[in-house]
Amino acid sequence: MLLVWAPLALGAQQRPDTLRASVGPMLPAAAQTALQTRAQIQFDESRFDSLTANTLRGLFEDARDMGLPTRPLINRALEGAARRMSSERILRTVREFAAALNAARESLGATSTPDELAAGAAALRAGIDEATLQSVRRSNPRGSTEIALVVLTDLVSRGVPRPNARDAVNALSPLPKGDEALLGLQSLVAKNAQRGPGMALEALNRYVRGTIPAGASPSTPATTDRKPVRPPDP
Amino acid sequence: MAERPLPFPAPDEQSGPGEELDARLVQRLRAAYAALPASTPQMAEDCARAVLAEAARPQVGGGRGARGGRRLPRPQWWWGAAAAAVLVVSVVRPWRPEASQRQADSAFVAGSAVTLEGSTRVVGDGTVRFELRLPASAREVSLVGDFNGWDEQATPMVQRAADGTWSARVPLEPGRHTYAFVVDGQQWLVDPLAPQVPDAGFGPTNAVIVDGSSP
Repeated sequence: MLLVWAPLALGAQQRPDTLRASVGPMLPAAAQTALQTRAQIQFDESRFDSLTANTLRGLFEDARDMGLPTRPLINRALEGAARRMSSERILRTVREFAAALNAARESLGATSTPDELAAGAAALRAGIDEATLQSVRRSNPRGSTEIALVVLTDLVSRGVPRPNARDAVNALSPLPKGDEALLGLQSLVAKNAQRGPGMALEALNRYVRGTIPAGASPSTPATTDRKPVRPPDP
Repeated sequence: MAERPLPFPAPDEQSGPGEELDARLVQRLRAAYAALPASTPQMAEDCARAVLAEAARPQVGGGRGARGGRRLPRPQWWWGAAAAAVLVVSVVRPWRPEASQRQADSAFVAGSAVTLEGSTRVVGDGTVRFELRLPASAREVSLVGDFNGWDEQATPMVQRAADGTWSARVPLEPGRHTYAFVVDGQQWLVDPLAPQVPDAGFGPTNAVIVDGSSP
């Protein structure tokens, strides 16, 4: 585990090829053969300079060795190249996202789908803590948490306080049509968040009260110091 | 013999030195002037009208002033110029530049209040239609995302002639997808109403679409 994570921790200063060359003599011959014949991860290396491409390849392979999905990491790297970010920033962001994927897997469970892990990593990078991710998983243990995590991240990014966003998502997620309810909540909050401070939270409270059957609400209505200036859109 | 200052405004103020009295007089005059309400356009118009009416009235009674001296005759254009000066000073109010600055700021804010609008919807067969309406004109808009490797050339959007909306249809597999719009090859925009994915790594946030049929 330590060897696998070393390139992630060292980054561009320690290339994985160099690391493997240094530990190669210590491995059995069969393991060395397996290491050499292992299929390479395919990604568009022409979008990066050679040094960055090699470092990225090391990061991707280490993530694969840990059982993390590599497609979200490749997408992050390609996104950085498309945005014309520097190599250093691309490597740092990919490395941080790999760590977030690992933390999301610990919070959501090893059986989570790659999309769930990517959504969980995005939520962690948006400032949502691991305990909240665990509560989202507990609220819907058998279903997918993908939409719940996406909506939770969106609500927090629009200024809804984290406890209120968490309670609303956890209340709607177990409903029979929970995904539709969650997407409806996101749409309503997005519309009202453009109308001024406090409107997003007001819309969230109204939507949750109108969606959840009476007596089933797990939390008291949220409050805020910022009063809305006019009623939210229906 | 030099003229003594007038005994104004109170006797106790005359007991001090001349310079102190002058300073206090100036201070009181300035305070009184500052307390005056600002003239309204209606007041300025009334004043100008009165001045013009006085100018148009024929001179009677030999034109003697209050002090008993002969009033100097003024030409007709003098009164017109005075009225114009009063109007300019009262309406434009050059001593309050902050008022015109505020108006300029408000106009700028009102002009830039137009926001872009976007939408995504499943058309059928796993095809998703992306639409974007921009507040300003653009030469080209492209759709980038994890479904096309974030390649600006892969998915150009087409502008409808009817309303100027940019649109593109993309076949997407069920699951979570992140995307953004690139305007004129430089500016990255996100759909303000679609779910946001904030990330400090690459700056602006991305929008995300989730197909409900994902496992």
